[in-house]
Amino acid sequence: MSEAAVKTKKPSKVNARLIGDMAPYIGLVLVVVVFYILTGGALLNGTNIQAMANNVITTAMCTIGAVFVFAAGYFDMAVGGALCFSAVLGAMATISSGSLFVGAIVILAVSLGLGCIKATLASFVNVPFFIFTIILGSIFSAIVLVIMGKETTVLLKNAVKPIPELDFTQMSIISVICLAVFFILCLIAFRYTPIGPKAKNMGGNVFAAKQSGISKTKTTFTVFIIGAIGIAIAAFLLMLRTRTVGATTAGSVGNDVMVALVLGGMPLSGGPRSKISAGLIGSITITVLNSGLVILGLNTGEVQIIRGIVFIVVVLVSSLSYRGKLLPR
Amino acid sequence: MAQRGELILETRKLTKHFGPTVALNAVDFKIYRGQITGLIGENGSGKSTITSIAAGMQPPTSGEMFFKGQPHHPSSMIEGIECGIGMIVQEQGTVPGISVAENIFLGEEKKFGKVLISRRKMQEEARKVLENIGLTNVDPAAPIESLNMQDRKLVEIAKTVYMKPEMLVVDETTTALSQSGREIIYDIMKKMRDDDKAVVFISHDLEELMEICDTLTVLRDGNFIATLDKEDFDEDLIKKYMVGREMTGDYYRSDYGTPISDEVVLKVDDVTTGEGMLMNFSMELHKGEILGIGGLSHCGMHELGKACFGETPVLRGTVTHVASGEKITTALNAMKHGLGYVSKDRDKEALVLTESIADNIVSAGYDKLKKGIFLMPSDTKKYVDKQVKDLSIKCASVKQDVQYLSGGNKQKVVFGKWIGRECDILILDCPTRGVDIGVKAAMYALINEMRLAGKSIIMISEEMAELIGMCDRLLILKDGQQSGEFFRSEDLNENDIIEVMI
Repeated sequence: MSEAAVKTKKPSKVNARLIGDMAPYIGLVLVVVVFYILTGGALLNGTNIQAMANNVITTAMCTIGAVFVFAAGYFDMAVGGALCFSAVLGAMATISSGSLFVGAIVILAVSLGLGCIKATLASFVNVPFFIFTIILGSIFSAIVLVIMGKETTVLLKNAVKPIPELDFTQMSIISVICLAVFFILCLIAFRYTPIGPKAKNMGGNVFAAKQSGISKTKTTFTVFIIGAIGIAIAAFLLMLRTRTVGATTAGSVGNDVMVALVLGGMPLSGGPRSKISAGLIGSITITVLNSGLVILGLNTGEVQIIRGIVFIVVVLVSSLSYRGKLLPR
Repeated sequence: MAQRGELILETRKLTKHFGPTVALNAVDFKIYRGQITGLIGENGSGKSTITSIAAGMQPPTSGEMFFKGQPHHPSSMIEGIECGIGMIVQEQGTVPGISVAENIFLGEEKKFGKVLISRRKMQEEARKVLENIGLTNVDPAAPIESLNMQDRKLVEIAKTVYMKPEMLVVDETTTALSQSGREIIYDIMKKMRDDDKAVVFISHDLEELMEICDTLTVLRDGNFIATLDKEDFDEDLIKKYMVGREMTGDYYRSDYGTPISDEVVLKVDDVTTGEGMLMNFSMELHKGEILGIGGLSHCGMHELGKACFGETPVLRGTVTHVASGEKITTALNAMKHGLGYVSKDRDKEALVLTESIADNIVSAGYDKLKKGIFLMPSDTKKYVDKQVKDLSIKCASVKQDVQYLSGGNKQKVVFGKWIGRECDILILDCPTRGVDIGVKAAMYALINEMRLAGKSIIMISEEMAELIGMCDRLLILKDGQQSGEFFRSEDLNENDIIEVMI
């Protein structure tokens, strides 16, 4: 067999790929620089950095967990609903028991339960999963309304025993530690255990994955459980920070997760190009974008419109480049 | 030199780079009317690249093209077909989720109504289009997924012919077809030549090319090597041009009379499958045996391969791993007992095209590589590098996406998945489909080595020469049941087999 088959050429094309990989980081720097200039430096003042750090935690926890789910080819639009559901039930448990520990256990149990419901639907029902998640998100929110009855919010101050209150700095430190630990564990699971490769394989070609002996059911449950853990930690930290949860809690998280994944450089169709870093980088980018727009005085509706435009542009650009890479030889 | 028609396509210094890989290196190439021009070369030689550029599937990196004397740079396949170049691609080119008729007239729906499309008219017209190429057993209203691979490919051919191209490119299409399917496409090519159209025929089947083509152009590693007229066709010379060294004789096994072990490793007992038409089929696979399975395309042989690997539902009967006594019901279960499976449809079923070579090879070996719950990068690298080296997979890097590899190299990656696992029983469904003679020879040698190492192999193939040349025993299927059994012999010939096949 000839050995001279592969020749190398000038490195410009290799650099193009490198630039592609670096695009999410370049995007983040660009967003920071642009809004730093537009806000006259207010974006990066101490208070706003702390506020952004707290805000990024919720999105990042959910998004990093969601990387596994999306990587396996499941388009999950019910992340926000699951977060709200877990947080409300956790807060209720905390109030009635007067224990944060009980609240945390309930949040974890509820989130895992919802994750298992999603995994069951994804594994055993032969209907595209995203159809379920559109409905599931609404169902979760509706159940919260039913459970809360006439109440609009659940306040931790109403607990039977006083719940420890953390100040802004303490909360930021705990949140950052939780995020760092969760990110590192997810990174290890995604890169250095079969969980990540199996999920990417399934997202890339479910038939080939099956023929390679990858169990769809086992992989599906694994990714949804990891996603649920991310949601549970986010819900707990959110409850601890805001001390108030309700039916509208985390209303935009579902969309934020998708925008963050795209901004982080991950295809929403999942597969081999999925990466854990997308969850973190994308979450920071979307948080900076949100914060910058708010500082500029835009109202919620205007912020949503701009985020939507950014989302569509990034999806369009990445799909164009993806199509190019799919050209047959 | 043979009498040539009018020059229809010319490339000058045509070059194409895929990342760091040079797929075409300043190739000058000419196609004439009234000829069937064969294009041959090893996998990765640039055959599909040059024709796909001409058809508008991808742009060149540099160089010029002229079609009918005019500069030619189509930006899409639609533009290519508008110019008069139709291409039937190597892999599946039909669109799932719609009917046969809708596939044929995709983008042409307005012909059947400006506001409301008349499905009836479309289906009637589709039936004519299919009958035009001799395809009478396909219902135009049927969903395209309900057709088998051969019929889907023939629908694609019918669609391309319907466009009335002035130059038709047939890219390794015949490898997916049985003899009857091949006859259909040969007739189409000959008719086009007789109508003073041009045909470019890409195939790895040298015998087929030498019979059908008027001239043959050889490419190697992206370089133009030679063009031969029919009177100069010489098998050994062409092989030498293709691989860059002398290659004479055949590459099948040369041993005869080798006894088959009595030890049965896999038992198929009275199996009827839910998909396809395998019915009440029984067989035994022995240790160190290459068991060939042959037949026409609808005979049930591909379903048999899948049933043995637990990949298709078995309605009745059992597949048993004899040593453990366990029934094979899922791929996971099959792998646990040392079975491996190379699918016929590698792009759809065996590979994740957007994934790297390394990740594809490793995908079947996590259980072998795992230390506790971890996959160590150094172990993974060693595992992948060994397969790439042993199988001579041509790539710039193991991180390269599989989609950029040629057909033969993709197939090597699939082999690598299973050889890495050191499977004891390997089910190979059309293992040399779409691969060149160099790769074929390497694969046959590998299969023989595995046999000598005591591995058992089920080789399903539509190529009778391959089955006769490689197998210890040969089972022929007809209508889902065994219609003949042959043992390895120097006297065994294709006629004997055809008699029980048809």
